[in-house]
Amino acid sequence: MATMTAAPQRRRLSHTVVQWGIVLGIVGAVVGFWVGALIGDRVVPADANSNNSNAALIVAYIGSAIGFLAGMGFFQYPIGRLLGRPRPTEADEAFLYGEDGGKRRYFRLNLDHKVIGVQYLVVILFFLFAGGLGAMFIRAELMATQPSFTSAESYLEIVGLHSVLMIFMASAAIIGPFGNYFVPIMIGSRGMAFPRLEALTFWLLPPAALILISSVLVGGFPTGWTGYAPLADEAVRGMDAYLVAFGLVGLSICLSGLNMIATVISQRAPGLRMTQLSVLVWGVFVTSFLGLLAAPVLLVVLVMEMLDRIGRATFFVPAAGGSPFLWENLFWFFGHPEVYIFIIPAFGLILEMLPVFARKPIWGYRVALGGMIGVGVLSFFVWQHHLFVSGIAPSLRPFYMFSTEAISIPTSIIFLVAIGTLWRCRARFTVPMLFVLGFMFNFLIGGFTGVFLSDVPTDFSLHASYFVQAHFHYTIMGAEVFALVGGITYYLPRITGHELNERVGKIQFWVMFIGFNGTFLSLLAVGILGMPRRVVSYDISLQGLNISASLFSFVLGASMLAFLVMLVYDTIVKPRLPRSANPWESLGNEWRLPHPIPVHNFTALPTDWRLPYDYDRDDTHPALRGAGAPFPGLAE
Amino acid sequence: MSANRRLAVTLGVIWVVASLVGLFIISVLPFPPAHASDTATSISNTLRLLTYLAWPIFSGVITGIVGSMLIGRRDPNARPASHDRIRGNPRLAGLWVGVIGFAVLLLAVFGTLTLTNEEAADALGLAGRGTSGTSVGSSPDNTDIEVQVIAQQWQFTYRYPAYGGMESAHLVLPADARVTFHITSLDVTHSFWFPAIGVKADAVPNNDNVFSTRVAVMGTYRIQCSELCGLWHGSMDDNSAQIVSGSDFSTWAKQQQAADAPVMQYLPPYSHTYVPLPAAYGT
Ligand SMILES: [Cu+2]
Ligand SMILES: [Cu+2]
Repeated sequence: MATMTAAPQRRRLSHTVVQWGIVLGIVGAVVGFWVGALIGDRVVPADANSNNSNAALIVAYIGSAIGFLAGMGFFQYPIGRLLGRPRPTEADEAFLYGEDGGKRRYFRLNLDHKVIGVQYLVVILFFLFAGGLGAMFIRAELMATQPSFTSAESYLEIVGLHSVLMIFMASAAIIGPFGNYFVPIMIGSRGMAFPRLEALTFWLLPPAALILISSVLVGGFPTGWTGYAPLADEAVRGMDAYLVAFGLVGLSICLSGLNMIATVISQRAPGLRMTQLSVLVWGVFVTSFLGLLAAPVLLVVLVMEMLDRIGRATFFVPAAGGSPFLWENLFWFFGHPEVYIFIIPAFGLILEMLPVFARKPIWGYRVALGGMIGVGVLSFFVWQHHLFVSGIAPSLRPFYMFSTEAISIPTSIIFLVAIGTLWRCRARFTVPMLFVLGFMFNFLIGGFTGVFLSDVPTDFSLHASYFVQAHFHYTIMGAEVFALVGGITYYLPRITGHELNERVGKIQFWVMFIGFNGTFLSLLAVGILGMPRRVVSYDISLQGLNISASLFSFVLGASMLAFLVMLVYDTIVKPRLPRSANPWESLGNEWRLPHPIPVHNFTALPTDWRLPYDYDRDDTHPALRGAGAPFPGLAE
Repeated sequence: MSANRRLAVTLGVIWVVASLVGLFIISVLPFPPAHASDTATSISNTLRLLTYLAWPIFSGVITGIVGSMLIGRRDPNARPASHDRIRGNPRLAGLWVGVIGFAVLLLAVFGTLTLTNEEAADALGLAGRGTSGTSVGSSPDNTDIEVQVIAQQWQFTYRYPAYGGMESAHLVLPADARVTFHITSLDVTHSFWFPAIGVKADAVPNNDNVFSTRVAVMGTYRIQCSELCGLWHGSMDDNSAQIVSGSDFSTWAKQQQAADAPVMQYLPPYSHTYVPLPAAYGT
């Protein structure tokens, strides 16, 4: 960056690779640690407490993230613009968009939304399988009523890691890969509104993951993903990693929301109306508002907790005038919209796939949009259902009970749309279709168990028990991850030009479905019978059901592993080509582009837009014969 | 009869049968947490009621999805039919929203009535009717015995104000008495969970969380912490909580007071003000 004029621009930009990110990340960490230690010494007298090491760690983590982003080249453009240097040349831009092709473009700062979608997919799968490893560990340990092959300490660390990794996964599982990859294409745009911002939302995730996982080096964090204070105030230093890592992901959620909203509003092809957009786009669009509005609250509350830990700000320490309720309210004000950030894009993806395999137009398109918007709006008014037994004023409870129950009205619309679309349809039971149906079943159970928790009287019994745990695993694992696996199967031919083995895929689905339901039906029962969450030891009377849950969970784990093996085998080891360019005979606009999709998607302004669900067309339509119906005017 | 109507009638019949069978099964299922207190009875009844309400909707949606897909399924390669062209039905959607909305309203009204009605609210224990700050709030008028539940990492201690502030590591309660718990914590947030009597209330430092219930059935029960509170959260349990007869309780209380007497003479009498000062934040 120092010698702007001498070196050719191209060479300078080629420094923006992961290696440089890692090097500067380490530099940033060292500098941050030193600065943080200085701050810590000033803020907290050395004899009082060891809190100065918290300051050092927190600043080191933040420094490493900034260093990493600098190494990736994120600051070259804004700093260059700030100093009045010339804009990037066309060759620079071409390089930034990865027009040189090849695999290396996935390992550096790349502004092509399709590359970012693939980057997201890989990192999401990493979160899913790393978190899943933790789940296997937890279930293995819980086969015994007392700590058997682990200590209470490492058990708690694993619970924390599993939960936060999975929250990271779920926050972007649909919106990250499919939102980034397909939203610009589905709205007829050459890219996102803010391509650099889009790349940033992705590149915040790798440092977040590394920082989070590094927490095991300093004792892990004992709070699970909810980070309740004042337990977080007294926790060991691993807590700092949780605060910074979650903060980076919160930033990513917020910025991605901003970018998606701007993109859908301003980048649509001329003549493409909001009511002609795919339901997937609408799912992403609605979710983006939740991310933009809720994630900043998370950032605030995390910074408050950092100040508590660095400088004894005591926001959450009652003995010094703070309040644990402050954390609970702020955290859940983010936390409840957050769970709909998980599921609304999945609604979109599921309703996107349903007409393709029902071979019928989507039934009640506008009703479906209303359902998603309704869920999104209501999600901001329900957060205190997490506090029913906390000791809040009883007069607040009826409202939150009502608002929470009211969310089932827009949610139920998704099922109505599904029934309407499936009504006397020409269903094709392909692998993605099985996952759509699995989603429906699992999410229905997730929804009904939610009603039991929303009712104040029954919540007195079920709150913070395994019933809650099973409930949200039904919605996240049973619904969102089923949508993710179905979505990967569905979109793989479009993204990489590969197809997964259908017969293996069907077996994999059924094993996953049975393993999942076996596990979490057992855990629903365990919860009703009185087992609290996050315990390493429990009453012997509950051991039978716990063993049942564990055995089924191993089946589930094996099925997930089989999916991963199949994914690697069919794309990398022995690439499996699809039957045709449009193997599902989908009318989706994303299937009307040539393969591979050009870097900027469209060479000419695409026209001929329509709601892509006209499966009632005459069978002579080329798309229905699997040939694809390219946009008029687009070169093959 | 049109194909649409035929399918609707078929699904309707399946739905009615599935609902009735399910409702019968629900009526004979035992619902926890059983009947060791009037709160527990009330929770069990509400759980059963919710399941009654939920099952017909659940079975209806499943019948709708599976039935319309399988029973009404046509050959995947058939030509498009006239009904394929139907893109929605606002009246049906309105009806659907109306039905679900009515069920939700029913649920919310019933729940709210329970929470605001004095008698029913008594049965539900009033968790939350407490005070914030360092003083212990008051109990409902008809309380027979007060117990202060003090949580700390990682155990519960029970104080009996009526017995001079005597303390016990195990909870003992007299049967057929209205007990009011005053739940607080010395360090982090815990939650006092006594499943058999349907009591769950968070123990928050500097907060008095009040839960009142009439305990009924004698026996030995399990108590545990249900809010993650650190390393030994899972071991913060006690399998020997007891509900005993009134006379047994008096005997136990006398014994306990006598055993504690040598210590208690040095302690101030039970106070309604409580100032926990964890060492880490002292000075
Ligand atoms: Cu919630
Ligand atoms: Cu506890």
